[in-house]
Amino acid sequence: MARARGSIKKFSRAQVLFHWFYGSAWIVLALTGLTFMWRGDPTGPAVGLGPLLQGSVGQTLRLVHRIAAVGLMASPLVWLLGDPKSVWPDLKELFAFGRNDLKYMLIAPLYYTTGRGQLPPQGKFNGGHKVNFYVVFITFFTFAGSGLVMWFGRGSVSDAAFHTAQFVHSLSFFLGSGLFLLHVYLTAVHPFTRRSLSAMVNGWMELQYARLDHAEWVEREIRRGTAQIRDGGPAAEAR
Amino acid sequence: MGRAATWESWRPDPTNPRQHVAMLVDTSECIGCKGCEVACKQWNQNEARISQEPGTYQSHPALDAETWTVIKFFETDAENGMSMWLMQKHNCMHCTEAGCVTACPTDALQYGDYGVVTLDQEACIGCGYCEPACPFDAIHVDQTVWGQKAQKAGKCTLCYDRIANGMQPACVSTCPTDCIKFGDRDALIAWGRERVEQLKAMGYPNANLYGVDEMGGLHELYVLLEPPEAYGLPVNPSLSKTLTLWKYVLQPVGKALLGAGLFGLVLNWLAARRTFKGGLSPHETGAAMHD
Repeated sequence: MARARGSIKKFSRAQVLFHWFYGSAWIVLALTGLTFMWRGDPTGPAVGLGPLLQGSVGQTLRLVHRIAAVGLMASPLVWLLGDPKSVWPDLKELFAFGRNDLKYMLIAPLYYTTGRGQLPPQGKFNGGHKVNFYVVFITFFTFAGSGLVMWFGRGSVSDAAFHTAQFVHSLSFFLGSGLFLLHVYLTAVHPFTRRSLSAMVNGWMELQYARLDHAEWVEREIRRGTAQIRDGGPAAEAR
Repeated sequence: MGRAATWESWRPDPTNPRQHVAMLVDTSECIGCKGCEVACKQWNQNEARISQEPGTYQSHPALDAETWTVIKFFETDAENGMSMWLMQKHNCMHCTEAGCVTACPTDALQYGDYGVVTLDQEACIGCGYCEPACPFDAIHVDQTVWGQKAQKAGKCTLCYDRIANGMQPACVSTCPTDCIKFGDRDALIAWGRERVEQLKAMGYPNANLYGVDEMGGLHELYVLLEPPEAYGLPVNPSLSKTLTLWKYVLQPVGKALLGAGLFGLVLNWLAARRTFKGGLSPHETGAAMHD
């Protein structure tokens, strides 16, 4: 069976913009935050990335880290102000984790590796999207809270509070990075699921893919008469 | 025991960097002249920063990135109409289990030869993690200016450049009462214990030796006339458990899990590209397999 033409609107322009605003800030923060993971040998000559991550360049990267942090903290405004009508329905669906979502989480690893198993019908966001969102949602606050403590609280908060903030910030990084790698892999590298990437580029998703990965949502939208379906693939819509 | 037992001739063994040296400050003989402060600034070419601690004879309220040693003044409560100034030469304690070394993300702070905690300012990114990690408030990051030297941590080096060349630390050399002694750590501890007993016999019942076991053993020892808290020194300081967990558990485990995750994704891709040929799922190609 070849791919059928036709696409369905999944995300608004503001949601797409919010996603990339947040994602870009996150990537800058992760890359500049790597300075805190570099454990070179200061007694030996600096090699590789060493010179970039230490000394005055390291200080500049810290400044960039803070600018990106402000960007990340401000990014939800893009969605809240750009498309306020979609905020509540999407959040409501994201926070509803049902039996189908759990089944999806149990079957998906095997299915996306070997094709074995039958994924349960999913809503606009599948179980994986929801887990990813929970981590992003939680780490948004843990990153911001601990980061602000370390940025402005040095010398005024207790030493124990500072160390806790330091721990929470690193823990958030490892949690977020794991999910980030998986997220990028599934949407840009995995041969099947990368078909979903167009939804976060121009807002449109291949209808055939949507029927496979978000069957419940597609049927619901069609039933309600709110589905925006167009002939032609997502790439055609982008033009 | 002041000049009679001088340590001026002692030198570390240049062929044995594993030997642990230390400074011992006999506070009973300190006259608060601040000569050590000046010698420290002069040798290390640190900027002169004029500040004052109101109400005392102290030159600076605390250490900073350019002020690596300060004589702290504490006035005791009056007894029989007499009060007493207690003086503590405050600087980096060169801990055996140092909070700053644990907290430093770039390894700019390390355990060096002779038990000295070394700081490589070139490697310092000025993150300031070391500041709250030090229970003695002995390391600071200069946040006043932007530049090559600013935004870097600064602290006492125990004059590593001098002792590695057979000299004594600048503050030790200049002390007029010889109350700062420099030598083999074990020998200084033995001397300090003897001095404490002598002070007790002279009518100072609270005399004690500070730094033998604190933070795994300090390389800055003090003969004190009163309990440590009277000098603003922490009683039983310890390495933060959260910080230890952060460095020795979270960081290595986190990195290992990220590496394992990345490896898992590569394996998944190798399998998935065979299953999802042309980007189509088995359901689309009619080859769906059900368990």
